[in-house]
Amino acid sequence: MTTLLSRSPMLFTLGDVLSSPLPSIFRSFSARSFPTRTAYLLGIGSNGRAIARQTGGVKLAQPISQWIIFMARKMLVDGVLDKVGEETKQYDFDLFVIGAGSGGVRASRTSAAFGAKVAICELPFHPISSEVIGGVGGTCVIRGCVPKKILVYGSEFRGEFEDSRNFGWEIDGKINFNWKKLLHNKTQEITRLNGIYMRLLSNAGVTMIEGEGKLIDAHTVEITEPDGTTKKHSAKHILIATGSRAQRANIPGKELAITSDEALSLEELPKRVVILGAGYIALEFASIWQGMGAEVDVFYRKELPLRGFDDEMRAVVAKNLEGRGIRLHPGTNLTELRKSEDGISVLTDHGDEFTADVVLFATGRVPNTKRLNLQSVGVELDNAGAIKVDEYSCTSVPNIWAVGDVTNRMNLTPVALMEGTCFSKTVFGGQPTKPDYADIPCAVFWLFAVVSDVISWNSLVPHLPVPVHTLFLVAVLKHHFGLPPLSIVGLSEQQALEQAKNDILVYTSSFNPMKNTISGRQEKTVMKLVVDSETDKVLGASMCGPDAPEIMQGIAVALKCGATKAQFDSTVGIHPSAAEEFVTMRTLTRRVAAGTKPKTNL
Amino acid sequence: MRSVLSAAARFPVLTTMSPIAAVLSLRPPPPALSAAAALRSISTTLLSIPFQSPFAFSSRVLLPSRLLSRRLPVRAYADGGNGAADSNQFDFDLLTIGAGSGGVRASRFAAAYGAKVAICELPFSTMSADNAGGVGGTCVLRGCIPKKLLVYASNYSHEFEESHGFGWTYEADPKHDWSTLIANKNAELQRLTGIYKNILQNAGVALIEGRGKIVDPHTVDVDGKRYTSRHILLSVGGRPNLPDIPGIEYVIDSDAALDLPLKPEKIAIVGGGYIALEFAGIFSGLKSEVHVFIRQKKVLRGFDEEIRDFVLEQMSLRGIEFHVEETPQSILKSTDGKLSLRTNKGTVDGFSHIMFATGRRPNTKNLGLEDVGVELAKNGAILVDDYSQTSVDSIWAVGDATDRLNLTPVALMEGGAFAKTVFLNQPTKPDYRAVPSAVFCQPPIGQVGLTEEQAIQEYGDVDIYTANFRPLKATLSGLPDRVFMKLIVCANTNKVLGAHMCGDNAPEIIQGIGIAVKAGLTKVDFDFTVGVHPTSAEEFVTMRNPTRKIRKETVPAVERSGDKIESAG
Repeated sequence: MTTLLSRSPMLFTLGDVLSSPLPSIFRSFSARSFPTRTAYLLGIGSNGRAIARQTGGVKLAQPISQWIIFMARKMLVDGVLDKVGEETKQYDFDLFVIGAGSGGVRASRTSAAFGAKVAICELPFHPISSEVIGGVGGTCVIRGCVPKKILVYGSEFRGEFEDSRNFGWEIDGKINFNWKKLLHNKTQEITRLNGIYMRLLSNAGVTMIEGEGKLIDAHTVEITEPDGTTKKHSAKHILIATGSRAQRANIPGKELAITSDEALSLEELPKRVVILGAGYIALEFASIWQGMGAEVDVFYRKELPLRGFDDEMRAVVAKNLEGRGIRLHPGTNLTELRKSEDGISVLTDHGDEFTADVVLFATGRVPNTKRLNLQSVGVELDNAGAIKVDEYSCTSVPNIWAVGDVTNRMNLTPVALMEGTCFSKTVFGGQPTKPDYADIPCAVFWLFAVVSDVISWNSLVPHLPVPVHTLFLVAVLKHHFGLPPLSIVGLSEQQALEQAKNDILVYTSSFNPMKNTISGRQEKTVMKLVVDSETDKVLGASMCGPDAPEIMQGIAVALKCGATKAQFDSTVGIHPSAAEEFVTMRTLTRRVAAGTKPKTNL
Repeated sequence: MRSVLSAAARFPVLTTMSPIAAVLSLRPPPPALSAAAALRSISTTLLSIPFQSPFAFSSRVLLPSRLLSRRLPVRAYADGGNGAADSNQFDFDLLTIGAGSGGVRASRFAAAYGAKVAICELPFSTMSADNAGGVGGTCVLRGCIPKKLLVYASNYSHEFEESHGFGWTYEADPKHDWSTLIANKNAELQRLTGIYKNILQNAGVALIEGRGKIVDPHTVDVDGKRYTSRHILLSVGGRPNLPDIPGIEYVIDSDAALDLPLKPEKIAIVGGGYIALEFAGIFSGLKSEVHVFIRQKKVLRGFDEEIRDFVLEQMSLRGIEFHVEETPQSILKSTDGKLSLRTNKGTVDGFSHIMFATGRRPNTKNLGLEDVGVELAKNGAILVDDYSQTSVDSIWAVGDATDRLNLTPVALMEGGAFAKTVFLNQPTKPDYRAVPSAVFCQPPIGQVGLTEEQAIQEYGDVDIYTANFRPLKATLSGLPDRVFMKLIVCANTNKVLGAHMCGDNAPEIIQGIGIAVKAGLTKVDFDFTVGVHPTSAEEFVTMRNPTRKIRKETVPAVERSGDKIESAG
């Protein structure tokens, strides 16, 4: 495929194929000849011959005609693929990237590796972000995954000390925890990583510019440096990778609350914490603070935390959080925060009042698009302020692109990395590449068309505001580092029932991890597999228990490639491990008819 | 969660059903018995009842003729080759000798398929002997389970060290009380052996305590009482094997090491296999002084060469002293009770304990095997065919007694395949391809598929991807811990032939990778998988550039040394 593509990257939609005045060879693939459960790779060799290949056993959740596959983005832009370096005389750079987080750094490095002349701008380094401070490394490294996981590690030790007693360990005297030391070491580590990222960029030959970037026109970025001076840079392509920021709920006294940014850098360890929200960020902080000895109350609107995750696993998580002493307040909203004598007074819509040292708002994040001057150059935003992009991360302005959280597709570091790489391949590598958001690569309806250079495709492919991520079999890994962690891949039982045509087989296992048999800790590990009864494909896997994120990575590889339950069963277990349960779930827990409501046993 | 016990009570197994009926009826399997949560601590692999697809029987028409002929002897008995189709001729349809992982699995499944089953096992003891064993077998009583419990215990000392970098301090250094650990461990083993007995009882398997010995192809003598059975299954396992050198009587084996009355102050461990390394890690973590003596230059013969080097280095960094290329010659006991180990290179003394982990041997002596014509290998292993049948048609063998691949899940697989072959009329071979395994040393190892050396031999052209990085936790703890990962990819087909890892959580991480390797997935499939960030495991899906490409008649060239952070950017 790659060779076909690089010879002449020409991409379009099936809808276009079927409706446009194409050579008859295309039309012979009528919609009916694509069985709805099968995907094809379709291409045309340079001799004009069609190439179609069945990828086999693929599930599609929607009629094929709705599937927008590939479009000739590059052809739309300028008719031919970028020849790197050719037009640099006109512009200062081939690529100017605004924002040096995961996606921006990856895109810069990979573009530079393809020979492009690249510059990247980023705000000065600081652990807490604002309009004017940020830092190379971005949210993940400075204010997200990395510092969070360090704090999770730090908080886990308390449970470990408790557990160690029944294994024969005695700690005489006091156990002390020095929050400032942890914070200091964390800051030191993210500063080190910030330095590594800068070295990565300079080693890749990327020009680094410190300051706030703003668009002047489709090819010009203006940088306001920390000292206030401004400078303009022109570029053939501009990539926006400015990420997102935590937002606060709009209630009276909201300024008394903090967001996750500040929570990762609190000077003092709070004794009483109120958290609004029950997404993964909220729960991670709940377990971090609880692990460090604080009293934690979590308020959220729904019945269960972690909306969007598998209901059964949500219930497990709620139970585990409560088991650790975290108080959950489902169906409850905060109405007001007031400063009181001994902290912050928190009022709820149930009329209750709580007092806290810290109130954390974990109520979502907003894309950082406000100060980029996007609208005036014609870059369209959605209602949430996210940049609208097509499947190749191109905005409504053909030479302006966007990746990562700023596009609010799937806001995860590895996804931003994937989007960044795909962007570089598309624009500078001569390989138009869509980020693949499904767990099963062959489940995505890939339709490649590679044509000889004679036909001008511009006329055939309309400028589509591509319905970007009609995700099905959504399966980019979601994970959650709390205590104990939850990790999922693929579909939840609810999603499977919504999407599947066949009955769903559900296998669950709930067990006491071996370590707990001695430690006496009362926390069950729960695992779940969701299987299509007809195809035997494993549609989703989830686990809540120690090491779940590490365990799930390999399971994800299997799911991504459409592994069947039979293939799981034929794998021999590693004994004794928790993970072996995934390959030894022989007993069906329930069979759920397609179209019915899922049930849980828990 | 329903419990196995109550579920089984609701759906009693029909032990009275004659074998012929069992073989021929297309009776659906017993309704779902969900594994009881409490039992999972052993491993549900041992407990689950086979779930049979409704299409299982249709596969029969596709069986190659070899498989069909294989079923014939089974049929012959069932159809009354010995005179009757009813089970009255024999006391049992199956009599299993040895209630370890393989024996229990085979017996339960056979009973679930309708056979009348008995199993005999020696009385419980933490030390195996000719007259002591216990329901549960090596894995539960003297292997995987107690070992991993001790590994958990010993790993805490590492966590205490790690915690300093995360802001934790202690007024007094944590101390370890060995007797608490051993008492809690033994209480857990007692619980597990009880659970196993219940499992057998609930499956309708008769438990006969005593030493089983084969009298003829259909008769077993258990301490003087004789039982007849249509089929006999040998699943007697293996035992540690000590070399015959002077002073060997002062030495302990792994059975004893798991149940010492006192923690060793200074211990010599002889051997470089996985058992030696696991115990070295356990005692080192519990603050014993540990010396490991190996005959070769490297530990873990048969493992990937890079893993062998890496684990030796990491374990040395944690304070274990390795004495390489030293062959033990004798053990001396001095007047103060201390032991000395004399090797070809010299003598090291002052040991409170000397442990030999120099291999295991099948427990096949004094079973009467030779008399009935069951053929044995030189090392005493029972010779079996692909279906676990011995040279005597009615006698079968699974697990360590056959010395194929001595792992609990493999014994389970063999036991399950045996039961299907004989009592479900579905000839089933155990599949030994891409069996993942782990070594619970510290840091632990997980591996699946081929080593680099095996891959080169088998495929010639291979691409090697490696990563050697400092995990996030170590950057704060300041400890010298590292993680090593390796993928071995066939250069022609792009298939991942092997995956190896040494580092925290390696066994848990490799299990899922094992599914992918077993399913024959390619490196491209790995690359297409999104990482879980930030984990160690994500490195397996973010290794973009081969470390070296090995081609026939070319010298491998090192192109890249991995630093974890590079792949994140």
